[in-house]
Amino acid sequence: MDYFEVFGLPRQLGIDTLALEKAFHDLSRKHHPDYFTRASPSEKTQAVRMTALLNDAYRTLRHPVRRVEYLLSLYGFKPDSSKVPQALLMEVFEINEQLEEVKAGKASVEEADSLRAQIKEKRERFDSQLQQASLEWDELVKRGEPEARLKEQLGRLTEILSESSYIRNLERELE
Amino acid sequence: MPKIVGIDLGTTNSLVAIVEDGTPRVLPGRDGSTLVPSVIYFDEGGTTVVGNPAKEKMVEKPKNTVFSIKRFMGKGIEDVREDLPLLPFEVAPESEHIIRLKIFGRDYTPPELSAFILRELKHNAEATLEEEIKSAVITVPAYFNDAQRQATKDAGRIAGLDVLRIVNEPTAASLAYGLDKRKQGTIAVYDFGGGTFDISILKLSEGIFEVLSTSGDTHLGGDDIDEILIRLVLGELKQRPDIHQLQAIRRAVNKAKEELSSANRADITVQELQYRRSMTREEFNKLIDPIIERTLRPCRQALQDASLKPTDIDEVVMVGGSTRIPLVRQRVQELFGRVPHTELNPDEVVALGAAVQADILAGSKRDMLLLDVTPLSLGIETMGGVMSKIIPRNSTIPASATEMFTTFVDGQTNVKIHVLQGERELIKDCRSLAQFDLKDIPPMPAGLPRIEVKFLIDADGILSVAAQEQRTNKYQSIEVKPTYGLTDEQVEHMILESFEYAEADIEARLVIEARNEAETVLNATAKGIADEQYANISEEEKAEIGAAIARLREVMRTNDHQVIRQAIERLGNATMHLAELIMNAAISKALKDKRVREIQ
Repeated sequence: MDYFEVFGLPRQLGIDTLALEKAFHDLSRKHHPDYFTRASPSEKTQAVRMTALLNDAYRTLRHPVRRVEYLLSLYGFKPDSSKVPQALLMEVFEINEQLEEVKAGKASVEEADSLRAQIKEKRERFDSQLQQASLEWDELVKRGEPEARLKEQLGRLTEILSESSYIRNLERELE
Repeated sequence: MPKIVGIDLGTTNSLVAIVEDGTPRVLPGRDGSTLVPSVIYFDEGGTTVVGNPAKEKMVEKPKNTVFSIKRFMGKGIEDVREDLPLLPFEVAPESEHIIRLKIFGRDYTPPELSAFILRELKHNAEATLEEEIKSAVITVPAYFNDAQRQATKDAGRIAGLDVLRIVNEPTAASLAYGLDKRKQGTIAVYDFGGGTFDISILKLSEGIFEVLSTSGDTHLGGDDIDEILIRLVLGELKQRPDIHQLQAIRRAVNKAKEELSSANRADITVQELQYRRSMTREEFNKLIDPIIERTLRPCRQALQDASLKPTDIDEVVMVGGSTRIPLVRQRVQELFGRVPHTELNPDEVVALGAAVQADILAGSKRDMLLLDVTPLSLGIETMGGVMSKIIPRNSTIPASATEMFTTFVDGQTNVKIHVLQGERELIKDCRSLAQFDLKDIPPMPAGLPRIEVKFLIDADGILSVAAQEQRTNKYQSIEVKPTYGLTDEQVEHMILESFEYAEADIEARLVIEARNEAETVLNATAKGIADEQYANISEEEKAEIGAAIARLREVMRTNDHQVIRQAIERLGNATMHLAELIMNAAISKALKDKRVREIQ
């Protein structure tokens, strides 16, 4: 059973997170090992496995980036940070240098704040690209487009994730 | 249906509780107190005493009175090196991966020592509930790692308990607080105990307690505050104290610390050293501020991990004895911008919550459900000593991850896997959890085998591993070597050994019962001697009664119940004639009375 199937959802990226949480709670009440203390050993094992799968699925699907990564993995696509345009790499190197200065305490508060804002702005640009491409994916699936067109879109999603992974790492380091 | 108890196995005190008619209550111990100090006293004869009587021995018998053993659970000697100079224990040489304390020539691991406390709690519950207790829920600090959780489970097994669930202390506390009456909301539980600190942030929704994030420090508590004060006293002393005096200092500073929660000034008095100093709360606050600051960092981390701001928190709950300190309350209030809850007794709230969780497991409560998380990321060692995370921290448990492994050499039949817990990049900065050997891989060219390894963290937060070779579909045998823990065989061995203690417990009970009966018999004999019939027995009989009394008085303080029983029997035989005379006299008196009434 894949993570989408756990929740009875189609393989689409637009997910209502409130509805997802409600379904998560309902399914937890059904499968949680707390309710199987007096059951047979095989039922207990089943409850732990089922709940682990449910938790793994919820953790993955509620997060917009992990959700895309998971969808890609279902089709054998994997973001690869080494396939990034040269221009972007240069930009990242520059930011990285400034980040080192901030971390070493050499930069002023204003410089650090400006760097933070710069990184945030870039990340948000990727987020909106990802959101746009995700919407397109859902449209293609709904319209029942041919496999070649779907694969092309998966490629596009992979590209966005590959490019944004640098920025996400930089942002994590700033925290 | 057999009852399930909830146990708070604390650093300083331990408690056992149960839910009856929907309400949790703490069960009292032999001395009527609900708090059982987590102290174990060993005497030369191999008898152990747990709780308040053991605590009284801490100064007199420091070497064989064990306390704060929870701080050693799942630890190796290097983890506690800093604490050892201030502790009176003798550590056995083989303590690299599991600390072993030497007491009267015998080594004890922390799970075995904790089992003494659990056995006492089990006994207390059985005495109050008048039935055998076989199953329990035991709480642990939320930030306990895999080894510390496993050590706690081992302790339960050694004590003869089926540990149905390991529950995190702050989460248990939230169950006890009756916060489920609040339908929605975000709660922070600040749990500052004797040895550990935890912060958990929970989201409450229609009876579901979902932990969003947790953080903490399993080596930060009231004991650390005591240590600061002990070091202060040591610095002011001219001589180096021996271990008795060291324990007297510990007792004195602990008393002063507790007094300073309500008073503005307290005395630290150590009679053994003719030492006395006064301390104001202001001075105390200054000393402990760095400790409190160390609790606030995990709070900020937990908020960040839950993507929340301090103002997003609707309720703050205080748990653990150290939250009685006014400065702790003040700093927590400042951080979250709201007055924290302190209504429930901070010593009892975790045990009460454990009982609620036990009630859920017993199947009598389906409206509440606890969804807890793993406090630390789980990872495996990859090339270059780098830790590759496979289950991130704050994942809801049970949680699982699947990884593929292969071989590097043609015909290789064995693959080593190193599992770790922690947040850092390099494995040397993480906590080694276990080494696994994937064995009996079918010989194939390098890189061809595909071994799927499934890592599962169960609802107790404990890891298990299963492996399968994908091409042959064969399950691989796995040999687990816990880095900081006992193997299954070792635990089994300890369970067998613990039966000796169970026997020793029975022995001790038989001795107490024999002594009680001796008291009763001696009292009855004294009454007999005072009776007028005593004049009617022979001088030989009187002499034998006197001798039998002397004998019983002599042996009743020994620990041999059979000898006491023999002496009781001898006195019983010696007084048989006297007893008959008294009985006959009583009967004839009764008959006489009857006749008098009949005549009237």
